[in-house]
Amino acid sequence: MENIINNILIFATNIKTKNDKEKISTELNENPEIIQWNIDQEDIDCVLRIVSETISEEQIINILNKHNFNCTPLE
Amino acid sequence: MRTRDTNKEDLVKQKAIEILVKLGIEGFGMNRLAKECGVSVATLYIYYNDKDDLIKKTGIEIGQNFFSEMTKGFLPTMSFKEGLRKQWENRARFALKHPLKVACWELLSHSSYRENILNESLSEFKVIMTNFFNNAIEKKELIPISKEVFWSIAYGPLYSLLRFENEGKNFSGAPFKLTQKATDEAFELVIKALTP
Repeated sequence: MENIINNILIFATNIKTKNDKEKISTELNENPEIIQWNIDQEDIDCVLRIVSETISEEQIINILNKHNFNCTPLE
Repeated sequence: MRTRDTNKEDLVKQKAIEILVKLGIEGFGMNRLAKECGVSVATLYIYYNDKDDLIKKTGIEIGQNFFSEMTKGFLPTMSFKEGLRKQWENRARFALKHPLKVACWELLSHSSYRENILNESLSEFKVIMTNFFNNAIEKKELIPISKEVFWSIAYGPLYSLLRFENEGKNFSGAPFKLTQKATDEAFELVIKALTP
């Protein structure tokens, strides 16, 4: 756990529905750089949480924008 | 570089329990929790996957605390009376020391999180208490009854007295304090009811 906290990226998104989630699931699942990901769809910000040692915020933003979703890093 | 701040983590755990008790599972939100703790929402998501994960972990930790308190000085091989008295002491101590945790536990153990939380935190405790229960029946120190009836008779009176203590009032609204004498009195009646 100590090491992992530096490898977590957190974003506010508008991935609101199950349908929305499916649109990005395949790409996130298949990305070899992503160890684990989930979206808290109960949260108002539909927070996307990514565990990865290598991927950058920009890469995630690009993936989501490509699918027409908003994606803003949360600090 | 992010560093892990255990004080902050403890604060988050404490506040999560407070909010759950005050607003229930539906009213609980990561944003509110972050605000009340003075941390960013992102910080919460560093430690917890989502709201679900946070609630589960909160419940499991309370269950584990409860478990370690309940087994203090207790063995399933104790005589029935001695063992039950120890359970009363341990349960009363925990309830008086951690009223919010108990309230939160009540809430979560009657919710859809029940199975998950119980399995993760209390399966070992269940085995110990089942051994105690079976031993007592075998030694003819306890009448053979179902576990549910046993639990209701064995602990119901204690939890009712603790409720009076928590409210601080008796039936007529006068101050109430749970004394050792009242506890012993109730305990003896319980023993009378449960022993052959």
